[in-house]
Amino acid sequence: MFKTQVMEINMGPQHPSTHGVLRLKLGLDGENVKSCYPIIGYLHRGVEKICENKAFFQGQVWTDRMDYCSAVSNNLGWAEALEKLFGIRVPRRARYLRTMLNELNRLNSHLVWLGTHAMDIGALSVFLYTWRDREKILDVFEAFCGSRLTTTAMRIGGLQEDVPEGFEKMVRDAFESVRIGIQEYETLLSENRIWLKRTVGIAKLSADDCLAYGVTGPILRAAGVAYDIRKAHPYAAYDEMKFEIPTRTEADTYARYLVRLEEMRQSIHIVEQCLEGLPEGPVMAKIPKTLKSEVGEVYHPTEAPKGEIGFYVVSEKGGVNPYRFHIRTPGFLNVQAIPLMLQDALVADVVTAVGTLDVVLGEIDR
Amino acid sequence: MKKFLKTLIPTELAKGLLLTGKWFCQVMFSPNRGKSKLHIVDEYPEVPAKVQPRFRGRLQLLKDAQDEIICVCCMACIKACPTNAISLVAGKKEGRKTRIPESYDFELERCIFCGFCVESCTFNAIALNHQFELAVYNREDMAIGLGGVFQSIDKPSPVGKFSYSGKE
Ligand code: SF4
Ligand code: SF4
Repeated sequence: MFKTQVMEINMGPQHPSTHGVLRLKLGLDGENVKSCYPIIGYLHRGVEKICENKAFFQGQVWTDRMDYCSAVSNNLGWAEALEKLFGIRVPRRARYLRTMLNELNRLNSHLVWLGTHAMDIGALSVFLYTWRDREKILDVFEAFCGSRLTTTAMRIGGLQEDVPEGFEKMVRDAFESVRIGIQEYETLLSENRIWLKRTVGIAKLSADDCLAYGVTGPILRAAGVAYDIRKAHPYAAYDEMKFEIPTRTEADTYARYLVRLEEMRQSIHIVEQCLEGLPEGPVMAKIPKTLKSEVGEVYHPTEAPKGEIGFYVVSEKGGVNPYRFHIRTPGFLNVQAIPLMLQDALVADVVTAVGTLDVVLGEIDR
Repeated sequence: MKKFLKTLIPTELAKGLLLTGKWFCQVMFSPNRGKSKLHIVDEYPEVPAKVQPRFRGRLQLLKDAQDEIICVCCMACIKACPTNAISLVAGKKEGRKTRIPESYDFELERCIFCGFCVESCTFNAIALNHQFELAVYNREDMAIGLGGVFQSIDKPSPVGKFSYSGKE
C-alpha cells in the first residue's frame, strides 16, 4: 500500500542561499540527499565572445562583471595575460600597487563570503559585522579606482593613476577595523556550538577528489595541498613578498573557514609590506596607442580569492582584438564538486556546501 | 563530567551575545549618536552622500572660461567606448577655428561608467561628474543630448538632489 520513491526537487534558481542563479536538482529520500545535479547558465552573457569582438583594452570592463566580488583580481589576471602576449614590462611601482589592490580585494571577497555563508547557516550578526568592515575596503577602491564594485582598475602596461592623497591612512584605518573584525568573527563563530555542529565534517572533499575535479583555491588548501599560484608561479610583486600559505587537512567546511580567515590575516600582512616598501617611479609602461598583435597564444593563471583564474588569449597578425579569448574561472570547476560533497548528506547541508564553495554565478556562467 | 558541564553551560554563546550586546549598547547609549565614530551608517538622504574625488558618475561635457564647449569632435571617445553609448555630429561655429559638436548624444542606459571615454579625450572636454542618482521616470529622458528637454549633456542631471554635483 505504501510506496517510497526518490523525490526530485529544484533548489534555485531563485533560492536566496544559492548566491545568484544556481539551480540544483536534488533527489531526496526524506531528509537525505540521494542525488544532486547542478545546472548553470542562467547568467550567461557571452563574455568570451564579446571580448573577442572588442579591442584589446576594452575587454576589461567585462572581466569586472564576471566575479563581481573580486573585480580587481579579474582585472589583474586579464592585464597580465595581455602583457604577456605583447611582451610589456610593467614598472615596479605599478606591480606593487597591483599586488596591494589584489590583496585588498581578497579581503573584500572573503568578507563577503564569510558574511553570506554565516548568514546561510544562521548567524546573522556576523553578516552585519563583515559588511561594516567591507565598506571601508570598498571606500579604498573608490578612492583609488573611482568605483566600488566594477573597478576597472588595471590598464595594459600598468595602472591609470597613482595613489590618491591620504591613501595610506585610509588603508591603515580600514585594517584597524578589519583586524578587530576578524577577532570578533572568531569570537562569534570559532567555538560556537551551532556553527561547529553545522560545519565540522560537513561537505568533505578529499585532496584526491579536488585534484581530479580541478578544484582550486581555499578548498584545495583546506584539503592539505599547499598549492597557491602566488607562490608556485609568482606574478605581480608576489616574489618579493613574505607570506605563508595556510593549509588544513580536515577538508571539511570548518577547515575552509579557518583557511580563509588565516588568508585574510596574510592579506593584511602583504598589503602592509607593500605600503612600507612601495618603490618610486612611474605606474605606466610606455606602450603604443593602438595595440596590434602578432601571431601568438598565452595562458596566464593568477590566484583569485576563489581559486585559479586563467586567461587564454589567441591572437593573429595585425589584429586589434583577440582571435580567441577563453577564461578559466575557479567557480566553474569548483561547482562541479557539489555532487561529491553531498554524498549521504542532509538537505540542510546543501546550503552549507554551496556556501563553502563561495560560488558567484557571474563568473561561473560568464 | 567536565564535558557534560561544558555542554550544559553555553559559555561560547554567551561570549557572542556579550559582543553583540556591547556594540548595541555602545552605539545606542552614546550621547550625540549620529556623530559618534561608532555610528557607521550615513544619514542619507537627509545628509547628502559624499563620494571620493575619483568617483565615476554621469558623463558631462565641460565648458571653458568663455562658457563654450571644449569638445573638438576628434571622435576618440566614440572609439574608446566599449558599449557605443556616445555618438556625435560635428558642426561649425563662426569665429572658432576648431569644430564644435552640432549634437552630442549620450545614452545613459548603455553607459557602464568605465571612464574610458574621459581617458581617451586629450582635450579634457568631458568628465564623469559625481552624480549617482540617475533614475528618471521616462525612458526618453535617458537619451541625453545637447540642450535636451529634461537634462542636457553639458549640465549636471537635475535628478541627483542628494549627491554632490559640483564641476568635474
Ligand atoms: S574625445 Fe573629447 S574632444 Fe574628442 S570628440 Fe570626444 S569629447 Fe570631443
Ligand atoms: S563611461 Fe564608458 S560606457 Fe560610459 S560613455 Fe564613457 S566609455 Fe562609454
